Amino acid sequence: MTDAVITILYFARIAELTGVRNECVPADGITSGHTLLHALKTRHPALAGVKNLRLAINQTHAPAGAAIAPGDEVAVFEPVTGG
Amino acid sequence: MILVTKDDFDTPAVVQGVRARTAGQAGALVTFTGYVRDYASDTGTRSLFLDYYPGMCENELQAIADQAAARWNVQDAAIVHRAGELALGEQIVLVVVASAHRGDAFAACEFIMDALKTRAPFWKRETLADGSSFWVEARESDLARTRRWDEDGQP
Repeated sequence: MTDAVITILYFARIAELTGVRNECVPADGITSGHTLLHALKTRHPALAGVKNLRLAINQTHAPAGAAIAPGDEVAVFEPVTGG
Repeated sequence: MILVTKDDFDTPAVVQGVRARTAGQAGALVTFTGYVRDYASDTGTRSLFLDYYPGMCENELQAIADQAAARWNVQDAAIVHRAGELALGEQIVLVVVASAHRGDAFAACEFIMDALKTRAPFWKRETLADGSSFWVEARESDLARTRRWDEDGQP
């Protein structure tokens, strides 16, 4: 099933820590930002030590408590530093 | 007008575009330009690399411009932001706001910059003169400035 995955994008230092800029993870058991981050920290132990992980769900900033569904695009990053 | 670009931008051309779109209406036009500066205190900055989230950057910048227009008299606004490799002294960001009066133009321009710094998905990696590099950390002072717009409408 191609839709039972969540597309994850990593940026900046987080992409360096995971070693990838994007990947698909099984959506099984992932219902929120919290459960997703837990799964990603298991997948990429280097993320466990990062204090300020932020999420965007489908290109919109979202709190860790936000709901995540199969097919969503979720970006994982540290606080932005543009401007 | 929202533009995220890896190339340098032509500030007078962007200002002229805003002027053309507000011909005869805007009594005030404010511009803000951000440049690559020397961030580190001891070893000098050689260059910056800006990682960014294509698509979300443009959406977020548009949302910020729309919020400014809902709050102040904004007849036209332009936001241009660089991405990729930048050398010391290069332009990073340009905000242009045209309003009926200067108060609205100044406030909207400052609000857009403050919101951009805490919401637009860009990340700076600085390379120093000695070749070492690091990801710039977000500043609490930038967050505090953005929050103050929420609390009392002041920067």
